[in-house]
Amino acid sequence: MTTGRSFSIFLSAAFLMLLTCTASAQQVLRWGADPSGGAPYIYTDPANPDRYIGYEKEMVDALAAAMKRQPEFVPTDWESIVSTLERGSFDIIVNGLEPTADRQQQISFSKPYYVFEQQLTVRKDEARIHTIKDCLTLHLVVGTLGNTAASRYLQKEGITFRSYPDPVAAYRDLELKRIDGVLMDVPMEMYYARANPALKQAGEPFLRGTYNIGLRKGDDALKQAVDEAIDQIIRDGSLERILKKWNLWNEAQVEMQAPIVAGKQGETISYDLTSVSFNWRQAIGRLARAALVTVLLAFGAMIIAVLLGMPLAVGQSMGPGWLQKPCTLYIEFFRGTPVLVQLLFLYFGLPAIGIRMSGTLTALIGLGLNYAAYESQVYRAALEALPRGQWEAAYSLGMSPLLAFRRIILPQAFRIALPPMTNDFVSLFKDTSVAYVISVWELATAYRELANASGQFLLLGVTVSAFYLLMSLPLAHLARRLEQRLRNRQALEVSESEVAA
Amino acid sequence: MIQVQGLIKRAGKNEILHGINLEVAAQSVLGIIGASGSGKTTLLRCLNGLERIDGGSIECDGVRLEAGLTSSAYHERVRALRRKVGTVFQHLYLFPHLTVLGNLIEAPVHVLRVPRKQAEAEAYELLAAVGLKQAARRYPESLSGGEQQRVAIARALAMHPGLLLFDEPTSALDPRRSAELRTLFRGFVPRGHTMVIVSHSISFLAGLADNLLYMEGGEVVEYGKTDTVLNSPRDPRTKDFVAQAK
Repeated sequence: MTTGRSFSIFLSAAFLMLLTCTASAQQVLRWGADPSGGAPYIYTDPANPDRYIGYEKEMVDALAAAMKRQPEFVPTDWESIVSTLERGSFDIIVNGLEPTADRQQQISFSKPYYVFEQQLTVRKDEARIHTIKDCLTLHLVVGTLGNTAASRYLQKEGITFRSYPDPVAAYRDLELKRIDGVLMDVPMEMYYARANPALKQAGEPFLRGTYNIGLRKGDDALKQAVDEAIDQIIRDGSLERILKKWNLWNEAQVEMQAPIVAGKQGETISYDLTSVSFNWRQAIGRLARAALVTVLLAFGAMIIAVLLGMPLAVGQSMGPGWLQKPCTLYIEFFRGTPVLVQLLFLYFGLPAIGIRMSGTLTALIGLGLNYAAYESQVYRAALEALPRGQWEAAYSLGMSPLLAFRRIILPQAFRIALPPMTNDFVSLFKDTSVAYVISVWELATAYRELANASGQFLLLGVTVSAFYLLMSLPLAHLARRLEQRLRNRQALEVSESEVAA
Repeated sequence: MIQVQGLIKRAGKNEILHGINLEVAAQSVLGIIGASGSGKTTLLRCLNGLERIDGGSIECDGVRLEAGLTSSAYHERVRALRRKVGTVFQHLYLFPHLTVLGNLIEAPVHVLRVPRKQAEAEAYELLAAVGLKQAARRYPESLSGGEQQRVAIARALAMHPGLLLFDEPTSALDPRRSAELRTLFRGFVPRGHTMVIVSHSISFLAGLADNLLYMEGGEVVEYGKTDTVLNSPRDPRTKDFVAQAK
């Protein structure tokens, strides 16, 4: 009896807890945005790295308050933000997202909350560029964020452009003369470029567009609640206060907010945004071009790695004492730190001491230097696997150490090193994908951009994998053939002589 | 042909060879016998410069190695010495990536700069002399142990050394092959070669060596005519060793 009662108490307590949980879960408004290089939208507070700040952060707080919900921020990645919303990691996107037609096929949008324009930025001493059209006629390269209104505009206009994962990298490359201009939404331009004495604005802001909140298709109740909340924070002036605080208030905002403040419903402003239509033929073409870059990167880096790996191996295992230390240091450094960090250092760190290389060259050299450390260990193992007697036999025949190495040791070591070298090469093929961080348009970058722009993750993923396999399989096959030829030469000789006998 | 005086070899603090003296006349055969660890292989390695000596001297056909030389002078003389000395190792160390012919012409072509055609012609003669002419295009791996050894001998001969060093040439051969090898070796002397052969096999050396040297503990215990050393040794230790070996 007692146990029965306590059990029912336990049950009702559990039920109550469950209720409160669901109730509080309904109160949460999970919103996704990319905080890396995300100023002034949302970014890490430089004064307090545990906190996020930004005008959209403040706006979401106001929206959530209007909706009587608890905001919960989910950090995500800009380029895949639409796909991440679709798979349910958060409920809304508030990240300066433009309601383009292609995105509208994937997700739905709230009414707009901000009107943005594009601003072209150039170097202070730039004399050639006055408007964006100059970049087209002079064949100059313009940097921008991937998968934005700006990148779509540039692509449509046929202007050569490079996509960057964050605005900092784009403006830095502009300063370093790797590109000639940067086209970006005014809020970002204001925060990252306006105060930079090395840069200046080229022409007036142009190409209006709106930022809307992105929602999953079918979340109609949430969409309605969000739309009402936007109206509310516009009417009560809190959005205006926030935008003024962040220096983002301008005539365009007044125009957009006016009908809402006046109480006119259903009259939402919208602009013609460039949307990219996904075209398979074009996509395959771009992938093929990216594949070529990947192949060149992999081969070039491997050549550097092989040429540099051998002296490193010899220096480390046979060199005099003063040479062994630096060789070991080099190998441990390049093996022990991520290639990603090395590439970022080479790309952004070296210009500080006057060494300025293009992204592709940086990737080539960075991967080459990195893989040289690995190759050196393959060679060292191969060299040490050979019996000491091979050296002594060569010396006894009057060979110098160099001749003995070149004619006797190296060919034998090569045979031992070939399988692990092939292995490293295939692995290098895939590692070229880290060149993404320095905006090299190789296969993995192409996949990311095309897939994010189209949502065709599965089909494009299969296509890209096929490209990688098309490149690495013949390579592996070739290496196996070479191994077999080296190994079977003897066997072949035997059978031939037996036939002859 | 070769004079060794007071040769001392150390490995760290251990002295392995304690002042070796010996002399080999041109076109004679010296056999070195002794138990394992007696220092005979180390002595042989000193004679072709693979081990640097720590005391005494080696003089071979006008090239003189001394303990006190600077490193670069020592290396220079070692290279000169190696032009006069050919070595056949116990484990042969044929070059597995080259054919038999390639093994033979490698050093003449790249060290002596003999034209390839001429080196090949000579190599075929040498292979004919050791009975392996048909194996020229084969790889060492596909040959029997005895055939591989004859390739190693031909490889050493291709450099025209005056002095030939052999380390345990019969260790991998059956009695019949040993007898054949001895016949082959006998032919070398009339052609102007001097030989030093380190071997366990007294019977192999008996009909071949002019002189025998018995080593124990890094010292020369007995050194004299083969007949004398085998049949009436002065030192009881030699007597014991010969008796056991027989």
